Amino acid sequence: MSDDKVSLVIEGREVSAPTSASIIQAYSASGGQLVTNVGCMGQGVCGSCRCMVRRDGQREVSMELACETPVEAGMQVAFVSYFQPKRPHVYDLDTLTDGWQILDAIDEVFPQAKHCRHCGGCDRACPRGLDVQKGVEYAVSGDVQAAKDVFSECIMCNLCTLACPERIRPNHLGLFVRRALAALTLRPVELMRRLRQIESGQLTVDVSAVDRPEGRP
Amino acid sequence: MIPFEPALARLRAAQGDYPMRGDMPPVSELLGRFHPDSIGGQPVPLAVGVNAGMLCQPEVAARLQTNALIDDVDIAGAETLNTDILVIGGGGAGCAAALTAAAAGARVLLATKLLLGDSNTVMAEGGIQAAVGADDSPQRHFEDTYRAGHRAADKHLVAQMALDGPDAIRWLIKLGMAFDTVDDRPFGGSLRRKTPGGATAPRILSYRDFTGLEMMRVLREAVALHRGIRVMDRSPAVELLSDDRGRCVGAVLYSVEHHRFVLVRSRRTVLATGGSGRLHLNGFPTSNHYGATADGLVLAYRIGAKLREMDSFQYHPTGIAHPAHLAGGLISEAARSEGAKLVNGLGERFVEELKPRDVVASAILRECAEGRGVTRDGQTGVFLDVPSLVREKPGILEHTLISLAHLAAKCRVDPAAEPLLVYPTLHYQNGGVAIDGDGQTAVPGLLCVGEVSGGIHGRNRMMGNALLDIVSFGRRAGAKAAEAFAEPYASRAGIGHIHDWQRQLTLAGLPLDARGPQVFPPYGNFDLASDARLRSRTAQGGAR
Ligand SMILES: Cc1cc2nc3c(=O)[nH]c(=O)nc-3n(C[C@H](O)[C@H](O)[C@H](O)COP(=O)(O)OP(=O)(O)OC[C@H]3O[C@@H](n4cnc5c(N)ncnc54)[C@H](O)[C@@H]3O)c2cc1C
Ligand code: SF4
Ligand code: SF4
Ligand code: FES
Repeated sequence: MSDDKVSLVIEGREVSAPTSASIIQAYSASGGQLVTNVGCMGQGVCGSCRCMVRRDGQREVSMELACETPVEAGMQVAFVSYFQPKRPHVYDLDTLTDGWQILDAIDEVFPQAKHCRHCGGCDRACPRGLDVQKGVEYAVSGDVQAAKDVFSECIMCNLCTLACPERIRPNHLGLFVRRALAALTLRPVELMRRLRQIESGQLTVDVSAVDRPEGRP
Repeated sequence: MIPFEPALARLRAAQGDYPMRGDMPPVSELLGRFHPDSIGGQPVPLAVGVNAGMLCQPEVAARLQTNALIDDVDIAGAETLNTDILVIGGGGAGCAAALTAAAAGARVLLATKLLLGDSNTVMAEGGIQAAVGADDSPQRHFEDTYRAGHRAADKHLVAQMALDGPDAIRWLIKLGMAFDTVDDRPFGGSLRRKTPGGATAPRILSYRDFTGLEMMRVLREAVALHRGIRVMDRSPAVELLSDDRGRCVGAVLYSVEHHRFVLVRSRRTVLATGGSGRLHLNGFPTSNHYGATADGLVLAYRIGAKLREMDSFQYHPTGIAHPAHLAGGLISEAARSEGAKLVNGLGERFVEELKPRDVVASAILRECAEGRGVTRDGQTGVFLDVPSLVREKPGILEHTLISLAHLAAKCRVDPAAEPLLVYPTLHYQNGGVAIDGDGQTAVPGLLCVGEVSGGIHGRNRMMGNALLDIVSFGRRAGAKAAEAFAEPYASRAGIGHIHDWQRQLTLAGLPLDARGPQVFPPYGNFDLASDARLRSRTAQGGAR
């Protein structure tokens, strides 16, 4: 691991940092105030450190996670602060009790999804490299298991939502499908049995058992 | 200490077949000689507050015995909001409490420091305990937890949580959380179960190895979509509000975005601010999220809540040791649950990998202290032998240990070919604010849930019990708090309790210029006094 220093610009600040540092480490070490755009700080699971990165000599801007991306010389970085969709899709999972209605429900809550223009903006935006556009297509066509799998590793950074010209909110659509599937179909048998044993009073806990030297009878 | 290259050569030559050292001291001796709680800064008695005299980790004691960040003049004229229930903290415990209170009809305001869901919860990997198997029972769950916690926990809290387990899982499924099943059969199938360190039966339920991410994104969405819950992001609580009878009646929030204070008056306040890993106790790196700065402990203690086991912290055995800039990042216990072995620089195993965490962490520290650790670029640790596991269970990195593979890639290590260098990392606050079965503290009006609370895990927490704790107690506290929704508001809400506190600090000879809570780690370069231009502390503050 080389510890040569490189210079880059983060949020308009000239920053010099060792090449082993992540963007967020470099920013904080340079004295930048870090009170937002950070959460898990390195695990890459909260999505709060999303940022736009332009690399030296490149015109394209890419979307990355500042806590996972190592610094490079000549990088320009701007955090994508605080983003929430304006008109959140509203639904109440409790009212979705009939699995036969899932296609209607998807269309009702995410009516824009069928207008996907296949621009690929969401795919390019996703720092996790998920097939977001495919996931939207699967959900619209009713292939809910496939949609569920596409969004399995989604960290809800909302970058695809930000990128989508049709205001589809792909990650929220994906999460809706995932939640609906679990709520409607996950019925593990031993969990159901155990709940019945507890709720009927058949199973309880004897706290004095740990005081007896022989432990469990 | 043994350099990396020869240690690696020895490991490779052994091909997964390692002799076990036979010189492990008895557990009490091992912990006493090597656990950071014992050999780090010596515990000190607290000098002020309801627990005066109780032994406390010294860096935590320093935080607890600080003066308030603000004074009356700083909040004079600040906007005041009213709500039935104020929930402070947007992790799993806060969300579970908010959802349950809102479902009971209460108006809820949830304030959080970063964005909703930025928390330790979202980072949890391994899974959640619940005794669902036919070979398992809530009784076993209770006994395992109590014993792993060295019999220091409140038995009734543990028993209640163990019995709550299955219902907590059903609640999560109803909200739309997925769990791994055997053979991918959701209806009528079986949940996939793993054995946590210290357990007598397989009891960990999980979603891949990012259970917390799956849990948090479901809880976050449910909270965000609930009409009865108002979320205030980027609004850390910097002080609690009290009335003249010493009850907790809300909190002072600081809007990081607008640089101003907001007072929230509530009928009940649920503190769910999580843990304290970012205090980096004893100089250890941490697995915790950026906001884990013990704010809740400090605020609750100052207003009069009792604390317990404040000298007991969990160091997770397998934090990343190399490369240095990723140090502290977590490798889930799932790797050891699946069978990965720990190997020292001599190519030997030295501990049963699934012993309780304090034992395994101390055993690793012992290897390093006695010169059998491995060093690489100045970083010390022992090997976690993932390559042998991959040989035994091909495909495991793609299907089960996905987060591990992701982390290894960041370390620029091919986990199928090279072992990872690991060293204990500060992971969990075992103790916390003392609560009853509904999360109520000794201070009327104040409830605490989640990692900020204490009494459930004793002096050592088992894997998977924290995620269960936040759901079980979060729901109970939410329901209890909601019962208060017809009560009148306190006529006076202020920060009067800090004046009494300041007197106590002065009497004890403690300085008034040490302030708390910390709110952001020092490397956040944040100073409330200048950010808010506090009238109480800057000469020209009022001239804004
Ligand atoms: C890397 C990692 C892996 C883990 N794996 C597991 C596992 O597999 N199984 C398991 O059971 N447990 C695991 N744990 C432990 C478990 O995740 C936590 O103990 C648990 O999620 C804590 O939940 P919480 O809601 O109490 O706190 P958190 O989830 O940390 O939430 C606290 C919230 O409060 C906010 N906050 C803090 N201070 C303030 C303030 N002053 N004002 C307002 N808001 C504030 C924080 O920003 C945060 O949003 C793991 C922990 C870590 C760090
Ligand atoms: S799918 Fe969208 S929200 Fe999910 S990780 Fe990718 S860009 Fe982020
Ligand atoms: S960005 Fe929107 S419109 Fe474009 S491909 Fe993705 S979902 Fe479709
Ligand atoms: S800080 Fe959480 S993803 Fe980067």
